[in-house]
Amino acid sequence: MATATVERSPLDDVALTATISTEGLTKHYGKNLALEALDLQVPAGSVFGYLGPNGAGKTTTIRLLMGLLRPTAGSARVLGLDSVSQRQAVQRRVGYLPGDFVGYKNLTGAEYLRFLLDLRRHDDQNVMLALADRLDLPLDRHIGDLSHGNRQKVGLIQAFMHEPELLILDEPTSGLDPLVQQEFLALVREAKDAARTVFLSSHILAEVEAVADTVAILRRGRLVLTERLETLKQRATHRIEIEFSQPVTTETVIAAPGIRDVLMDGRTALITVEGSAAGLFRLLGPMGIERVRTHEADLEDIFLSHYQES
Amino acid sequence: MRTTIYFKDLRDQRRGFIGWSIGVILTVGIMGAFWPFMKDMPDIAAFVDAYPEAMRKLFQIEAMTSGAGFFNVELFSLMLPIIFLVFGISRGARLVAGEEEVGTLEVLASVSVPRYRILLDKALALVTTVSGLGLVTFLATWMTSALFGMGVPTGEALMASAVMAFLGIEFGLIALAVGAFSGHRGLALGTASALATASYLLYVAGVFIEELETWRIVSPFQQALAGGPLGGGWRAVFVWMPFVGVLAAFASGWRFDRRDLSS
Repeated sequence: MATATVERSPLDDVALTATISTEGLTKHYGKNLALEALDLQVPAGSVFGYLGPNGAGKTTTIRLLMGLLRPTAGSARVLGLDSVSQRQAVQRRVGYLPGDFVGYKNLTGAEYLRFLLDLRRHDDQNVMLALADRLDLPLDRHIGDLSHGNRQKVGLIQAFMHEPELLILDEPTSGLDPLVQQEFLALVREAKDAARTVFLSSHILAEVEAVADTVAILRRGRLVLTERLETLKQRATHRIEIEFSQPVTTETVIAAPGIRDVLMDGRTALITVEGSAAGLFRLLGPMGIERVRTHEADLEDIFLSHYQES
Repeated sequence: MRTTIYFKDLRDQRRGFIGWSIGVILTVGIMGAFWPFMKDMPDIAAFVDAYPEAMRKLFQIEAMTSGAGFFNVELFSLMLPIIFLVFGISRGARLVAGEEEVGTLEVLASVSVPRYRILLDKALALVTTVSGLGLVTFLATWMTSALFGMGVPTGEALMASAVMAFLGIEFGLIALAVGAFSGHRGLALGTASALATASYLLYVAGVFIEELETWRIVSPFQQALAGGPLGGGWRAVFVWMPFVGVLAAFASGWRFDRRDLSS
């Protein structure tokens, strides 16, 4: 008797342990389609990058997850709870940073954050104080007097300070300087190490690439890709610069597997290769390689192609 | 002790409250300062007669010969109601819809506080603040009366100030309710102001147009001002003012709990 083996992708198992799971999640504003039949699974304990150009529906998805919007159709479960009927229970266990965070201008950072901790009935202020110290936020100043970057820090702290199981962050690094951005990425990694899940939306690939395990790309309200970042990187193109000890022809290089493009400059070849470069080195090794310089996998091309595809 | 939305909103309003209180104290005090001159006017009867009959009827100008009557005409019939309406409506519109438009409601509505609780705390903060201004009005009336020998009975001053607060509470809660229902501060301000104006017009028109006389009682101005409010004593009809406000807030809570918040 013949048996068929169905190959399972790691994403197939995600539904069983998903922290966020949506089914046909749809949101229309009148005739405007903001989100169309979104089926999304966010693995527990992962850092999930939610990418898309401005207006793709990222914020709409997030606000649906937080229960701030009600779906036109479909449903979302967050930590196993329904985002509409169990909104409060969801919110209790989630830290949320809105895409356009606004705090009370007449309160100091400390007053505002303590107020939110009180509303959450969370008495421990230590994490809040430690985060403010780490992000170098002056807690005694009124929010109205803070720079845009410092206000964003207040927003980040209020999302992290009660140590929630799930962090939902909409464009979190907006307005942050590079040093604080690094600190933020460290916070995300620490959250992941503590087995928490981070759902991170962005239109900037680099910040997601630095921390995410899985990415999803949204375009015009529709999900166009969900993939583990590793898999995506394998599919991405690398640029490798090889300097040979002897002249090599373009034809020789192009014969290697996965070669997309070759540019010869004297004894130096600038090669664009897709996926693994092992075959390339096996073939060219005997030709006398003197120096190799590699460039980061260029995910940008993949993302741009998904952003623009019709 | 944990801070609540109620206490935070009260705290937010303290500066505005102090400003409005000073305004009320000055208004009442300055008006009271005119009383000694009015009282001693030799031909006050002729002065009163000079008003058209309709005005005399509407503002009960004949009663101007007493301190309480003078305050009724000059303060409690129009000026103080306007102050309480502006105070209540502007605050009511700001508490939910204002926060939603500015963007601060986004976090407030996502920290696991039930939306009905947000609305309840804000409604209570509004009622407390408007009542506070009512108390200031009472104290200002009572002290001014004592200072200028106006002879306004303490109980009447208290009742009339409470009625002013009821007016502010009713229309303030209506503004809060429209804001919670719609998320639009302008709509909340506009609707509550239009309703207040319509109520006042009904109250005034009812004096002159016989057909409207029976409908006058639905006007909060009729409920508040008929028979006084200074000197009119307690009337059960006063209860309608806070009741209608609470009803509006309660009805809007159903929608506020279910609607999309604007970002």
